[in-house]
Amino acid sequence: MSARRAVLLVGSSRPRGTGNSEAIGNYLVARLAEGGMYTEVLHVSRTQRPEKERLLLQAVDEAELFLLSTPLYVDALPYLVTRCAERIAAHRQAQRQTSAVRFAALVNCGFPEWEQTKTALDICRVFAGQAGFTWMGGLGYGTGEAIGGRPLEELGGQIRSLRRGLDLAAEALLAGEMVPEEAQALLARPIVPSRLYTALGSLGWLRAARRQGTLGKLGDRPLG
Amino acid sequence: MNERSDVTHATLDPGAGRPATNAVVLNGALAGDETLAPVENVLAELLEETGAGVRDFQLRDIPLAHCQGCFECWFKTPGLCKTDGDAGREITGAMIGSDVLVLLTPVTFGGYSSEIKKAMDRSICMVSPFFRRVDGEVHHKLRYRRYPALAAVGVLHEPDEEQERIFRTLVERNALNFDSPVTAACVLPAGASSAEVRDRLAAGLEPVLGHLARRVA
Repeated sequence: MSARRAVLLVGSSRPRGTGNSEAIGNYLVARLAEGGMYTEVLHVSRTQRPEKERLLLQAVDEAELFLLSTPLYVDALPYLVTRCAERIAAHRQAQRQTSAVRFAALVNCGFPEWEQTKTALDICRVFAGQAGFTWMGGLGYGTGEAIGGRPLEELGGQIRSLRRGLDLAAEALLAGEMVPEEAQALLARPIVPSRLYTALGSLGWLRAARRQGTLGKLGDRPLG
Repeated sequence: MNERSDVTHATLDPGAGRPATNAVVLNGALAGDETLAPVENVLAELLEETGAGVRDFQLRDIPLAHCQGCFECWFKTPGLCKTDGDAGREITGAMIGSDVLVLLTPVTFGGYSSEIKKAMDRSICMVSPFFRRVDGEVHHKLRYRRYPALAAVGVLHEPDEEQERIFRTLVERNALNFDSPVTAACVLPAGASSAEVRDRLAAGLEPVLGHLARRVA
């Protein structure tokens, strides 16, 4: 009997080990591994070359479960993820008979409201249908920047709800069930009040600008 | 840059303080997909009939790097992507300088094609890293005083109400983020006749075409 395989595609363009999407995805696949699945993590930024793309398509075809963990870019999936989705769907549509693969998506954004990820999750659901995957559901998460690219296991109690929601998702996926609504409800719980989150975010930008010596230029309009 | 021969050539004109182009079309056709070309011809006619100058970008033929998610365009080189030497700055400059931005795309899983996404992802330099609230939601503050009206034309190979709904929602969300004064979305079936395309574009984009005509006047 072949091992149960899960493939995680990280949709962030950030360097390995620094992205929030990677941190969220890694936490979920760790739970799947604990449940007995063989897991593989691929980064969309490393699937650009044809040989790497072939490996991704093969890994997806051979997986029981395909997971996407991605940031939200301009209200939708990032370019690299969209391109990858186009390639996967075209590859699967060209096959006479596709393998049975289940697909679930995790979309995080830097805004406080997880609801801003809904359009991207809708896009993921349509992609699943066009690629011949079984849609297992998606999870949206706001305040993603608070993760800071750190492993969720190392973060404190403020993201307890996120971890618990991902635990529930993993349990369901291991059992071959849809991601439960309860998991989304847990991810929707704010880690800090919205106004505090945006104030801290603004402070972060000011600090970053001060380090660069650009404090007086943050409002520049260089394009016109 | 692939300029349509029958579309007014327009370039950024620093001396005038704003570009001569009134409408910018981003064509997001993927390699080998020619279904958007006839739609683009009719679209250009409609835009030109308002008296506007039209500039189009055939994105698949243009060297354009993807957004790296570094946010340096917010704190290190404010308002400019650090990536230079590709068409990114030219495209975002044309976008912010236009009265109307039109996204022409195959409807892709309900959203935009990867080519459109590549250009749109690079446009975050057009807003500020700081925050504002719109209808109870947090969005980024605006960097510029004015932004173009946003129109999107999607071509669908099979009728699909769900994808059409997602597409229209995405356009509305983008318009909210970029504070577009007017928004319109139109979804067309692939292979429609020129007459049908013209009728549907004229009706579907009417608010944006009207806005453009007023700006040109």
